[in-house]
Amino acid sequence: MIKQTLLGLAVAMAPMLAAAHSVSKATTPANGATVADVPELSMRFDDPMRIISVTLTSPDGDVEIERETGMDPATEFRATPLEVLAPGSYRLDWRGMASDGHPMQGGFSFTVAG
Amino acid sequence: MTGLAPIDGLAVLAIVAKAIGYGAALLAMGGVLFCFIFAKHAEASVLRLARQLAVGAAVLGLAVLALRFGIRAARISGMGFEGATDPMMLGFVWDSPLGTTAIWRSVGELAILTILVPRIGQWIALAGCLAVAISFAQVGHALGEPRAALAGLLVLHLLTAAFWVGALAPLRRAAFLPMGADLLHHFGNIAAFGVAVLIAAGLALSWMLSGSLAALFGTAYGVALLAKVMIVSALLGVAALNKARLVPALRTQASGAARSLRRSISLEILAVVLILLTTATITSVTTPPVNL
Repeated sequence: MIKQTLLGLAVAMAPMLAAAHSVSKATTPANGATVADVPELSMRFDDPMRIISVTLTSPDGDVEIERETGMDPATEFRATPLEVLAPGSYRLDWRGMASDGHPMQGGFSFTVAG
Repeated sequence: MTGLAPIDGLAVLAIVAKAIGYGAALLAMGGVLFCFIFAKHAEASVLRLARQLAVGAAVLGLAVLALRFGIRAARISGMGFEGATDPMMLGFVWDSPLGTTAIWRSVGELAILTILVPRIGQWIALAGCLAVAISFAQVGHALGEPRAALAGLLVLHLLTAAFWVGALAPLRRAAFLPMGADLLHHFGNIAAFGVAVLIAAGLALSWMLSGSLAALFGTAYGVALLAKVMIVSALLGVAALNKARLVPALRTQASGAARSLRRSISLEILAVVLILLTTATITSVTTPPVNL
């Protein structure tokens, strides 16, 4: 009974998923931007966010990045790619925890021009 | 639709675990409140059921609390289920408001177990109820501003909800007992005030977290909240039917009255389950409009 109810709830909410909000207010590069190079990746938050996992992916797989911001809650997160990003599309995904204890996740995409 | 976090398998698991945790906490608190309020009106077997429910729910609540720590650790880690046992992730969860909540909740649920001890145990269990209710004000949406008002309203909302939810199963049993009609009638009189407080506190909380009526439409929080209000309305309808028709029928010993009343109370229990699932969804994956 609970399972069915939950399934119903999940199905009802499915259309909303596409528009799920992201709490990162500003990112570098900006979401959807096309840039020549990416010296730094950054995200800003309204409230301190504990960013726990970050992955940068390209169509060829994961790209290694070095975190400048540690795992302590911060309103700004910064990291740098360990290699020069080749032309193509990239996506950064993160997971973490807001100051009220809620698990949070988000991401943004950008393109490096050839 | 704005203000809805992505829902993956772990998020669904988190919602179900949270709903069970809500149910356990309400039953544990409600069982104690029932024993306290109806000590003189309820028969021994009904009071025994309320005590057993309180103890069973408190134990379940403690187990679910531990489980929720693991689920939360897994969700923040990005490692999937592996993160559930990662000491660093569990440490982050412990440092978060959920850690503070866990202390209040576990102390409260342990205190509720003393309901089995005569006399002094009842008072310790009653203090446990308050601790469990306060635990909910230590985490999540209740941490917004004005904090004191949100916390006070939430504690009031939960204690009155617990009074109602915790009474359902004992009342269902009482419907078939000789003195049951009087107990049900007495409950109805107290519940009329309790439910008024429950709804007033709920509306005030919703207003403070929504900011405006317009915010209810077009945000995930608002849509889920409206769904909750609809189920609560149905529940109120059933409760009103019980008070106005079925309990009076039971008092005049009308044939079939006890069975109708038991069926009606079962329906109330189903509505409560749906309300808890909806509430767990609201507090897990939606953002209150005032925070958007």
